[in-house]
Amino acid sequence: MLKFILRRIGVSALVLLGASFLMFILVINSGDPLKDLRESNAQNREQLMAQRAELLRLDDNPFERYWDWLTGVAGCFTGSCDLGVTINGVDVLGLTQQAAASSLRLITLATLLAIVVGVALGILTAIRQYSGFDYVVTFSAFLFFSLPVFWAATLLKEFAAIQYNNWIAVGQYAPTTIVVAALVVGFVLQAVLGGTRRRRLVTGVGAFAFVAVVLFVFNALDWWRNPTFGLGGVLLVSAAAGVLVTALVAGLRNRRVLYAALTTSVVGTVAYLAFAPLLVNQPSWLLLAGLFVLTLLVSAGIGAAWGGFARRQAMLVTGITGVITSILVVADILIANWSSFLGIKSRPISTIGSQTPNFTGDFWEQVLDMGTQILLPTVLLTLVSVATHSRYTRSSMLETLNQDYVRTARSKGLSEREVIVKHAFRNALIPITTIVAFDFAALIGGAVITEQVFGWKGMGALFQDGLNAVDPAPVMAFFLVTGIAAVVMNLVADLAYAALDPRIRR
Amino acid sequence: MKIRRLSAAVAVAASGALLFSACTSPAGSDDPAEGDSTATSAAADGPCKADLGDVATADGEIKVSVEDEFLGYNSNTPETYSTYNSAVTDRLFSNFWYFGDDGSICTDESYGTYEAVSEDPLQVEYTLNDEAVWSDGTPVTYADYVLDWAAQAITEDGKVTEDGTETPLFNHISGLTLGDYVPEGPQADSPDAKTFTYDYETVYADWKIQISSPFPAHVVAEQAGVSTEELVAAIQDLDMGVLKKAAEFWNEGWLSQPGQVPDPALTPVTGPYNFKADGWQAGQYITLEANEQYWGTPAATKELTFRFVAADAQIQALANGDLDAINPNGPTVDTVQQLEQLGDAVTVESSPTLTWEHLDFNFGSGIFSDSLEAREAFALCVPRQKIVDDLIQPIDPEAVVMNAREVFPFQENYEDVVSQSYDGRYDEVDLDAAKEKFEAAGLEEGTKVRIGYAAPNPRRAAEVEAIKSSCDQVGFDVEDSAAEDFFDKDLPNGDYEVALFAWAGSGQIASGQNIYATDQPQNYGKYSDETVDEAWKTLAGTTDEAVHAEQVVVIEKQLWDTLFGIPLFAHPGVIASSSSVENVRPTAAQSGIVWNAEQWARAS
Repeated sequence: MLKFILRRIGVSALVLLGASFLMFILVINSGDPLKDLRESNAQNREQLMAQRAELLRLDDNPFERYWDWLTGVAGCFTGSCDLGVTINGVDVLGLTQQAAASSLRLITLATLLAIVVGVALGILTAIRQYSGFDYVVTFSAFLFFSLPVFWAATLLKEFAAIQYNNWIAVGQYAPTTIVVAALVVGFVLQAVLGGTRRRRLVTGVGAFAFVAVVLFVFNALDWWRNPTFGLGGVLLVSAAAGVLVTALVAGLRNRRVLYAALTTSVVGTVAYLAFAPLLVNQPSWLLLAGLFVLTLLVSAGIGAAWGGFARRQAMLVTGITGVITSILVVADILIANWSSFLGIKSRPISTIGSQTPNFTGDFWEQVLDMGTQILLPTVLLTLVSVATHSRYTRSSMLETLNQDYVRTARSKGLSEREVIVKHAFRNALIPITTIVAFDFAALIGGAVITEQVFGWKGMGALFQDGLNAVDPAPVMAFFLVTGIAAVVMNLVADLAYAALDPRIRR
Repeated sequence: MKIRRLSAAVAVAASGALLFSACTSPAGSDDPAEGDSTATSAAADGPCKADLGDVATADGEIKVSVEDEFLGYNSNTPETYSTYNSAVTDRLFSNFWYFGDDGSICTDESYGTYEAVSEDPLQVEYTLNDEAVWSDGTPVTYADYVLDWAAQAITEDGKVTEDGTETPLFNHISGLTLGDYVPEGPQADSPDAKTFTYDYETVYADWKIQISSPFPAHVVAEQAGVSTEELVAAIQDLDMGVLKKAAEFWNEGWLSQPGQVPDPALTPVTGPYNFKADGWQAGQYITLEANEQYWGTPAATKELTFRFVAADAQIQALANGDLDAINPNGPTVDTVQQLEQLGDAVTVESSPTLTWEHLDFNFGSGIFSDSLEAREAFALCVPRQKIVDDLIQPIDPEAVVMNAREVFPFQENYEDVVSQSYDGRYDEVDLDAAKEKFEAAGLEEGTKVRIGYAAPNPRRAAEVEAIKSSCDQVGFDVEDSAAEDFFDKDLPNGDYEVALFAWAGSGQIASGQNIYATDQPQNYGKYSDETVDEAWKTLAGTTDEAVHAEQVVVIEKQLWDTLFGIPLFAHPGVIASSSSVENVRPTAAQSGIVWNAEQWARAS
């Protein structure tokens, strides 16, 4: 195995080296770096051209320039990284760090969401193949996949930002809106849950009534401007999540696991009560991270204590429940801060930028600000990549569902949950890992158009600006980062594949 | 601001603007706010900034877009020189003069005054306001201007430049031009003098805009390890020991890594705004705050934030209040339509800019080079009015066909110059007359005319289309020979019959000499005419404005009579601002919407 990894790394390094040379030559020949000066009529035009030629070393041999760039990069191994300077005299190393950080921030959440939602949708559509729900999801997946990003961004900005901000100034839904929203939810839910006609009817009507009532109550409470969620809400939703996770992973008949999940919810809620003063008065990212680790440890502990024969399953379930509970806790605090946040920022959803300039709020308001700024690009990126993930998962899941061993599992009397989660889903995941790994590699490469339309300067902008100016240093920095990410993730995908699928292990 | 650039960028911006043309709800407001003037508390009178009377800085923030990252305090190096960087740094420095909204020269008397004490030889005396200080309290003095001169005069080997072509010591965007014009440098009694004189070696028509804002000499002196007096002495004695250190700091000490607000001790300012501590986020925005040490009329609003936003995203950001003022690069019909749909919430103003489009004949080779009749035949068939009607008026309804090269339709003396130099014979397409000229020139049916321009540029493609459909009837065979490297290859090599591009006017009086006089670097078409050469020589060699006016008429008339080329139109510009912000004014000059940013105020 070690030999395999080393060989892969060695080959990849050679590929990177060759590709970087090719890239360098292509970039420096991609245009005329003196274009704007040729069109200038400054009296000292010749001098300016000579100055730029010297800065970019246009008169030097391309091999020599490449070699010097390579030596600068090699310096990274000895702690003296030199990626050169841009045409504007800015150090590229610092620029790359900033761009990478910005891109990661923009895309991480979107990628995670896309994976979770995409895989979930893929499985659901595979189980309900050729149902109305399947057709709707398939249709939407293709629709979103083929959406031009800039156009979708414009729509999103118009409706989710500008119109929403106009609406939140009042924060009341019109009765017709409520009825339509409830109808849509009811319709979708019955389509997803399926069943006999009678059951569908009950689901649809129930969901419709629930949503309509809740929305009217929210209107009455002015909830959209002064929302509360509360301890009760946290407990309720976290317990529900616990039950759901148990149902999926272990089955509700496994009481130990169920009790472990419910204990986690209760402990989480109590812990929220205990840590609330700290979270409200001295919040920081460090505190949040520390509490998150604590959550994982405690959840795992609860799982281990309750688990008995199903210890591993119980720990998995409590772990997931713990994570969901901690997300709920943070959400609750954020919801509680929403009305004061609206006081500072009356139009909460922005169309551009990664933060409001000179935003003066406390920690939680700043988190809300970052959240509202990142919302639109995240939604957009998620919509686009959900399509890929759901389609891949669906086909992979359908293929496994038709395998003999699934039929065997069914015929030996396993419950449908066990057949799907244990036998089909796990095996269906194997091909998905490759796609997910590549998604993470693409993550650091940034999203050129999304960055541009939402006013983020990330890796995409680094690449684009560099190429527009025929400036090799930033383009090569981009290549270096994305190239290495691609190679590493490719390797990870291979290793994961080998780990997941014993058939290809040698 | 001495550089004139062709606006090839328009193409890129225009195609970018197409991207967002698809959207926004069609049911917009029916009463476009276009043409409305902003509710100024003191109406602008003339091209210069309005006098707002007593202004007290109000708390608050106004957000304006620029399309690229801020690069640093020193906008005068070739690496950092850009309109986007200047948009920020121009707020930091005061100057004796600035460009008004029609490109004319305005003075800032709270900073100082200047006048030509002698016209020939040209001697200009500058007097700084006694109150003018850097934000660290040091007065602005002669020493700052000596350093400013040194940065544009001293060569790498420690001499004052002879002809401006040597390698300079300082990395200044203007090279050694100032040293070439004023070899002695500014003269004064002492380093801390407030009055000083520049003795020009030759009479220079554009003396009024030759001296720009200086950088702080006391900071450079400290960094070079000497006192300000010693720095001045070192410059006068060309002491390279000190100058090298000074130049090193000048070249590199004021460059910034994005996001790191420069140290206030190194970057004192003289303008109405100063850097704000922690006010710069890489790739996002930079915020300036009112300069408390500023002695003149203070900034109307405390904070001014420049957000780095691509043109595509600006309109919706304005609609959502993320921006308060925008000046989209290369506006299209869609830009205007989208802005008008925003209704009363924003004020939109379209106005022409100093960039103007024209067709230039190739005098070096080809059918037009030696036949006036051929050029006349072509000029008679170019549908100038149709081009303006179809392509420009949808953006700026007031747009007109341009009938001059050195003056713009929105300038005061335009009517005067045009009435004396051009009789309107090419105003309307006259195919019969064109055919006559075509035959008189002895051209054959189907004579190929390559119109070259820098691709991609949808607007120019449409212009060529219009010309083709008209001129092909005369007998020409117009060919759209757009190329990406037009300026690099086709134009210098003369591989075209007609070149279609734009000049960005600089507000300089004599810069046209580079374009129209024989053997000048910008005279791509190799045009040569004695009358024109002579007139330019007279114009450039005097500071007398009456002579300037007179010679412009001579030049324009001769350029029309010999048909150097055909002017088409001034590029339209569009600005839009939130209705809650007052005093936002468009300008034709390259400084853009922010030219009077210190006057912007939130309506109370």
